[in-house]
Amino acid sequence: MKFVKKRAGSKTEIPTASMPDIVFMLLLFFMVSTTLREVEVKVQYQLPSAKAIEKIENKRLVQYIWVGSNGSIQINDSIVKLNQIEPIMYAKRKALPNVIVSLRIDKNTDMGLVTDIQQELRKATALRINYSANLKAKG
Amino acid sequence: MAMIKKRKLQEAQIPTSSMADIAFLLLLFFLVATTIDVDTGIGLTLPEYVENPETVKVPKNRMVAILINANGDVLMDGKPVSIFAIKDMLKPRIESKIDLPDNQKLIVSVKTDRQTKYNTYIQALDQIKQAYFEVRDQYSQSTYGKKFKNLDAKETEDIQKNKIPIIISLAEPESIKK
Repeated sequence: MKFVKKRAGSKTEIPTASMPDIVFMLLLFFMVSTTLREVEVKVQYQLPSAKAIEKIENKRLVQYIWVGSNGSIQINDSIVKLNQIEPIMYAKRKALPNVIVSLRIDKNTDMGLVTDIQQELRKATALRINYSANLKAKG
Repeated sequence: MAMIKKRKLQEAQIPTSSMADIAFLLLLFFLVATTIDVDTGIGLTLPEYVENPETVKVPKNRMVAILINANGDVLMDGKPVSIFAIKDMLKPRIESKIDLPDNQKLIVSVKTDRQTKYNTYIQALDQIKQAYFEVRDQYSQSTYGKKFKNLDAKETEDIQKNKIPIIISLAEPESIKK
């Protein structure tokens, strides 16, 4: 007795006509949710890690200040001096009243510098700040 | 004789088979350019700047003074403690003040030296925040039977404003003694 393999009579094909639509939908999602990186970070820094951290809800309200391991301060695209922080932040706060200042400070910075920056921010009345930190692994 | 133009019917078609590829390429670009990582950190609100700040006397039992020196040693209410013990020492003191009115809530004052490392300061701040978060969690668990983050807006506000407000005072570092 011979065994003959039975083949299904109908052709099996996955319909691909709707594939572009699906892909476009995905694409749209990413386009809408993307915030492109705007600035190039020129200072080297290593963030501290902490456990009790919160997310910043609204990314469009955030203004970053970087402080590198060599004590240089960067706002937007340029390295600034300490006394330049106040006018920049004041202008920023005028444009965006409830701006959140995210401080990305290297973990070996002296507190003296951090306090000086905070004083400048207070003068510019940019009072909502956020010490940027990575999530510390539990254990 | 009637001339009949014969038209060959040609169906004009745009080839769509490569559309998916093009769309994938675009998709890939956005995938790569997207920064998904959310900004995380310890939030704080600074006090407003005033030229000559008035000093207000605060009763001793309202205050927890945390001093951190340049070496990272911590002094809490005059006693030297480990930085990781701050949380457990702070929790009972926060709990004891839940039912007190607004003007008797706990104030945590953090003071550092100018030479203190930023990392040490963040660790201390983290401990304080953790203590507050844990107390809030316990309180909401015992009152509402839910975790703090699952409470509705009204309950959250009640805890944040009336029961367990986080009051952290940042003292300015003392100027360098030469």
